[in-house]
Parts: sequence; C-alpha cells; structure tokens
Amino acid sequence: MKNKYFRSLKKRMPKGMQSTIMFAFSIISIIIMLILGSVLYIRFSSVSRQETTNGTQKLIEQTGESLEDYLVRMRQISDTIYYNVIKENDLSNQDRDLQREMNLLYETNKDYLRSIAIYNSYGSLMAAEPVAVQKEDPNVTRQDWYKQAMNEVENMHFSTPHIQNLFNDSTFRYYWVISLSRMVELTDKGDTQTGVLLVDMDYSNISRMMKQINTLNSGQYYYLCDSSGKIIYHPRQMQIQEGISGENSQVAAQYKDGSYDETFAGEERKVIVNTISYTGWKLVGVIPASTFNQGMVNIKEFIVALMLLLFVMVIIMNRIVSARISRPILELNRSVMEYEAGEKPEIYIGGSSEIRHLAHSIQDSYEQNEILMNEVVLEQNERRKSELDALQSQINPHFLYNTLESITWMIEGERNDEAVFMISQLARLFRISLSKGRTVISVKDELQHAQSYMNIQKVRYKNTFSIVFDVDPALYSCCTVKLVLQPILENAISYGVGSMEECGEIRVEGRLKNDDIILEVIDNGLGIAEEEVEYLLTDSTRVHTHGSGVGLVNVNNRIQILFGKEYGLHVESEPDKGTRISICMPAVPYTEENRKILEKGYLFSREEIVDRKIKAGIDEDK
Amino acid sequence: MKTSKKVFILLGAVLVLVLIVLMFIKVGGKTEKDIHKVSVIVSDSEDTQWASFKYGLRMAAEDKGLEVFTVSTGAVLTLEEEKTAIEQEIDNGADAVIVEPVPGAATADMLKKIEKKVPVMLVRQTETEEQGVSAFPVTEADNYQIGVDLAKEVLRDYDGNIQGKTIGLFMSSVESEAIASREKGFWDYLKDAEVTLGWSLAETEEGMLEQQPAVDFVIALDNNGLEEAGKCAAANNLHGALVYGIGNSTEAVYYLDTGKVECIVVPDAFNMGYQSLAEIAEKLLHYSHKMQSSEVSYTVMRKNDLFSEENQNVLFTMSQ
Repeated sequence: MKNKYFRSLKKRMPKGMQSTIMFAFSIISIIIMLILGSVLYIRFSSVSRQETTNGTQKLIEQTGESLEDYLVRMRQISDTIYYNVIKENDLSNQDRDLQREMNLLYETNKDYLRSIAIYNSYGSLMAAEPVAVQKEDPNVTRQDWYKQAMNEVENMHFSTPHIQNLFNDSTFRYYWVISLSRMVELTDKGDTQTGVLLVDMDYSNISRMMKQINTLNSGQYYYLCDSSGKIIYHPRQMQIQEGISGENSQVAAQYKDGSYDETFAGEERKVIVNTISYTGWKLVGVIPASTFNQGMVNIKEFIVALMLLLFVMVIIMNRIVSARISRPILELNRSVMEYEAGEKPEIYIGGSSEIRHLAHSIQDSYEQNEILMNEVVLEQNERRKSELDALQSQINPHFLYNTLESITWMIEGERNDEAVFMISQLARLFRISLSKGRTVISVKDELQHAQSYMNIQKVRYKNTFSIVFDVDPALYSCCTVKLVLQPILENAISYGVGSMEECGEIRVEGRLKNDDIILEVIDNGLGIAEEEVEYLLTDSTRVHTHGSGVGLVNVNNRIQILFGKEYGLHVESEPDKGTRISICMPAVPYTEENRKILEKGYLFSREEIVDRKIKAGIDEDK
Repeated sequence: MKTSKKVFILLGAVLVLVLIVLMFIKVGGKTEKDIHKVSVIVSDSEDTQWASFKYGLRMAAEDKGLEVFTVSTGAVLTLEEEKTAIEQEIDNGADAVIVEPVPGAATADMLKKIEKKVPVMLVRQTETEEQGVSAFPVTEADNYQIGVDLAKEVLRDYDGNIQGKTIGLFMSSVESEAIASREKGFWDYLKDAEVTLGWSLAETEEGMLEQQPAVDFVIALDNNGLEEAGKCAAANNLHGALVYGIGNSTEAVYYLDTGKVECIVVPDAFNMGYQSLAEIAEKLLHYSHKMQSSEVSYTVMRKNDLFSEENQNVLFTMSQ
C-alpha cells in the first residue's frame, strides 16, 4: 500500500529540470513559511496573552488602590466621628454639637455617603445624618451590620451591599448601600454605654468604579466579591442571581493575589486576583480564553495574509530563479537534440561558467567526432580504392605472358598477319585495361575489351569455339566496373569450351532489367559440378588452377565494392550442358561526374540512379 | 503558451484573488449593520413598574450584543398610537419589536401585519387568543397562577377561613387579558370560600376607589391599581380594608414596607425583559429559529421577609 502511494507520488513528480527546481524550491519555501508562520503566531500569541494579562493586572491594581482609598476614606470618616465627635460630646448635650459636627462631616463627604447613624445598645437611633424619619420598626439589632459590630467590638466591619432599611423615603426609593459599622462607646448624661456607629456608603460609588473598568467589550470583565465569595459587584450580577449565568467567586475568594488558570462552565480562562486590604474583598479580573483568541484573530489573519503574499512572491522568485538556472541547460539540451536530429551543429554556449565549459566540451567533442568521421570515411575510401587497384592489377602479368608467347609462336611460324592482328588486339586490350587509370568505364568499352580479349583467345585456341555478342545498345552508355567480362570469358573458355574439339559457343548477352544491367556470359561447355558452383563466388583460392588467375570471386567483389552488396555475379551451371554467369549492376549513366562519384566509393541508392538517368536523358536530349 | 506557464499564471491569479477576498472580508467584516436594533413599545414606558423590565432588557442587550431602544409612551396607549409607534420604529431601522399589546380585538390583526416585516415578541397576551394558544410568542408570568397565589395569601392570613368577607377588586384596565386571567385565577381558588364580591372597579378617573363601599379586602390586580390602593390605604381612605395586590414598582413595595399593603405578588419583570430580548436575539442571529413563548416566575412578598436576600435582588432590579 505504501509503495503504491510512493509510486503514484513518483509518477506525479515533475520530470523537467525547471519544474523539478521550482517544485523543490516551492516545497522548501512552503515548509519554511509554515514553520515561520507558526513560530510567529505562537510568539505573537504568547506576547499578546502576556500583555493582556499585564494590562488586566495593572488595571486591577489601580482599581484596587482606588477602592482602598475610598474605603480608607470611609474608615477615616468613621474614626473622625468616633474620636472627634462621639468621644468629645455627650449625646444629651443641649447645644447639639454632636449633630452639628456630624452634619459637617456628612456635608463634606456626602458624595460618597448615604447616611451616618448612631445606635445605642438597644438599637435605638441616637443621632443620624442626614436627618430623616426612621421607619416604624427597622429592627436594627437584627440587621447584620449591627450584629457584626456588637460581636467583634474591636474591629470595623464592612458589610456586603444591601438595601438600607432604616429610614422612610417619601420618594419610594430604596438605597443600595455598603455599611461600615463599629462598636462605639457613647456618653449619655455622663454615663458611658455601648452603641454602634454606622456609616452607610453609597453602593453606586463602588459600582461606578467597577463599571468604568468593565466598559471594554472585549470579553474580559472584573468583579468584586467578599472573602466568602459573595458577589459585591458583578457586571452580570442579576443574571447570576437569576441563574442565567454563573461565577466562580467561591473559588476565586480562596485565591491569593496573582493570576490563575482555571476552567469554569466548560471554558478555560485566566483569573487575576487582587485583595482589597482590611476588607478582605477580592477584586477579580477574568480573561476568558475566547478573549485571547479574539485578540489573536487579527494576528492570525495578518499572518495568513503575510504568508500568502510571501507565497506568491516566493513562487514568482522560484519561477525566475529556476528559469535562470535551467535556461542555459535547456538551451544546451535543445541544441544537442537539434544536432542529433541532423541539423546544423551549433551548440549553445551561455549561462554560468560551468555550463559554458560543458557546452564548449560538447562542441569540441562534436567537432572532433566530425573530423574523425571524415577521416574514417576517407580512409575507408582509400582502402577500397587500393583494394580495387590491387584486384585490377592481378590481371595483367599472366595473361600478358600467355599472349606474348602466342605472338612469339606466330612470328616464329611466320604468320605475320595473325601476329599483327594479335598485337593490335592486345594493344586495344591494354588501352582499355589502362583507361587512364580509371576504374569505371562505359559498357561499350567493356564490350570492346571483351571482344579484343576473345579475338586473342580465339587465335590461341585456333577457333575451336565461336563467340556471339548480343547486347542491347542502350547499355553502351552505362557505367560498369572495368574488366568484369574478361575473367568470366576466361572462365568460360577454361572450364567450358576450351577443351571442346569444336562446336563450342560462348554468348555474351546484355539487357536492361528493372533499371539494372544484366550482362550474361553463356557457354555450352562442360559445365561445372554442383559443388563447384557453390564455391565459385566465395573461395578465391580454388579457381586459380586455370585461366588468368583472376577468379569470379575477384569480379564479384569489385562489383559489390563499387555498386553495393545487392549487385554482383550469379552462376547457373549444369554439367555437360553449359554455364550461365550473369553480371548484375545498376544502370548508372556513364558521365564524367557519375564516374568520379563511383570511383570515390559513393554508393548510389535506387532513387538516385533513376534521378541521374533522367538527368542524363535530359542532357542527351539537349 | 506552455502548460506550465499557464498553470503558474493561474496559480498566481488564484492566490492574488484569495488575498483580495481576505482583505475585503477584513475591511467589510464589521459594519454597523451587524448590530441589530430592537425597539420596545410598552404603555407608560417611563413608569417605575417597567424599571426591572428595562434593566432586564439592558442586561440582555449587553449579553447578546444588541441595541435596545424603549419608545417613550403615555399612560394610555391606543391601538393607533401603538401601530404608529411600531411602524415608526421599523422605519427608523428596528430589526425586531417587543410589544405590550394594547387591549382590544384589533390588536392581533395589527400585530400580524407587523410580524410580516420584523419579528415580534409580546410581553402580554393579545385578547382574542385562547388561553395558552398564542399566534405570537409571549414572554410573561402565568397570570392565572398569580391570581391563584394571591387568593392563597388572602386565605393564609385567615387560616383558610374568610367566610362572609367581602372583596373589592381594583384594576387599572378591565380589558386586559392578563388582568382577566389573574381575576379568574383568584376567583377560581376562592370559589368555595364563600366570599362575596363587593365591587369590581376599573379606574377611569382618580378618586373613584375611596368612594367605593367598605369591603374587607381590596385586591389590586395590577401595579397601577396596587399603587392607588396603597396610596388610599396610607391616607386611611379604604375603610380599614386590607390590601393585597400584584405589582412591581418600588412604590408598591414601599406600601408593603410601611404596612399599608399586606402582601404583593411581584412578577419577575427582569426575566421578562431579559428572556424576551434573548429570544429575539436568537431569532435575529439565526433566521430559521422559531421564537418560543416563555413563562417567567413571580415572587410573593410580605413585610416580614421584604429584606430577604431574594427580595433584595428584586428590589435591586426595581431600583435600576
């Protein structure tokens, strides 16, 4: 299964050089960008969290200080009333100094206060500011602030917010207050008795302070609770009371100052706690995880946009870089392919020094190849030419020796006319044999040569055989390899008609067949054994016992060297019936140009032969 | 053009397009249109009886991220006035309305037309509707049960025996479906108590109450009635009748606090405001949401437990 995926991946991998570079660069760039993006996000996220926490912490500390200042002020008011007013005055004082001084204090601080009241140990109102009508039976002694003051006499007590239940208000309003109560010693008509001093702070002051820091609508919020977790202020106070939402204040009340991570109602959040001195109240800042995430959304979007922008830029850069790197190599490759396709060998040289060096090397090697190839062709031609020359030169000495001997006999026998004829035929034979050193001659010359040769041989063999030339004159103007008929005729005499008493006949026929020249030497001699025929064109050593020493193998080789392997000799023989040896050659018109081309060793294709024939025909018509 | 070049250009174009789309989303993401506006049309909206309700609306608006606006209305709201007020609010961009339907059979038809434009939440049932079957979502207390509980409180003070006593019923509007339910609940519970109805008065002009013959109990079936009865009791103009009633203003509580009223049943107006807006918010945020009616609780207050923690919270909402 794994291999299957790898194979399919491998199939999809880009194959081109530029694509490979770009693909590799892009993959690396994307990985780097993803890592970079993640690191950036984590870093930003951590810094942002830290900053939010620090900001909240600072705000809490500042608000805590403000709250403490406010509460200290209330305590100072309480102290001032107790030590400067209550302790200094008798409640029964007719001058009402106590009331006046309380009024002074109240007026000075009325922005923060709801009321100041002094109750005796029975819960009776001794003095109050502002002066108001007390409710019929407020039952002060059963109210929490009174009980706390009486229970712990040495302390001042801050209550949780509650509705003031002391005075009648004709405007039907109920005030939400925080009571600061303490036990005091009252002097009434000279007697000392215990009582309770109550300073009711307006809850709206605290709620205003808290509202101010809760105005940010970013999800984080601040609340105030007492040491037991009872809510003093919460932005969703009523929702909590109604059970619509909840708060983890019981747990927060147990925390010491600092920041804590907690999970409440299925949500992770950070809680920062600051204790308000003396009261033990806890000012709590809550930062839900969603607030951090909300803040991070912008950063996330920014990073994603940045990554996308970088990605586009990287892709463009990769494209440019990969194109620059691969272009010279691609150009080089293209030029090499063009060269291979047989076009002009112009190797591209460009790009970096390494690629230029490579291109130079390729070009040099191609040039070297070209030279070497030319040299090889030249050498090959030279070799073929020399082979041809060597083969042709094999004819001369033996035959010349025999002929000269015959002439000598004729002169000795005073047959001068015959000797003259022989010499003239020999001269013609040699003239054609030499042919100014040419290898290729016209068929007409070749036939002439054969005729001279047969004339000489007929004299030598005392006309024991006859010779008939039946050649299509159209063949006369075609090219042939020099001296191909003579060795065949020699063989016909030696193997065929030479040993016959009379009636020996040799026919030389020539015709065109499918653009080929077929020259045939037919004799009615003894014929050749079947096994001999087999070796006639392959084994040059077996035929040298008779004749001029130039075998059919020689002729066959020369034709094939000049015209190609598909041409050459064909031997048909039957013992006591005769032999037919056919020469097959292409019908190349005999012109100076064609002769030179053939002699250089160039092999004509069939189409070229036809073309040249047409051309020669046109020239002839002209 | 080569295929690789085409792919490259296409890829580049797609990426640039994604960037542009992202930017558009970013720039156009937070518009003012996202903050839904809800208007509240109730009669005598400045009256203290709506303080808790409005506080509940405010809290829900903060929680749900809505903008809520309470239309200032007079003590008596006619159908035409209510219709005009609602249409004006819709024209001013209100995405939903919370309505206290004016008494009358035609109100439902008017509201049906409004409902086709914007979601409508009622804080009192319309008159033509059968009990418990409402064409509109309603957030209110169970008025019938409030009547029953008020009757229970009367009986409790007399150990269940109020035989031969006379009762005077007092209310600000006789047409209201809510008051009718409360009255029904009240009488249903007292059907075996052998009490007699001295009079039943829907106040049409001030001072009518004190002119009524003496009864043993004055039962105020709505806040305005309770305040009026409390005021009369404070002025000793009720011929010694004990006042029981239903209300949710600090004035009503004050008469309880001062002993002029024996007992009051306070519907949870804070929750009425909170839940009605929360339901509207749900509808506005999720179009497919089908608004549901909901029932809020009520509190029975007596003088001796007036300052209990629970009641203090009720008073807190009334004082906002």
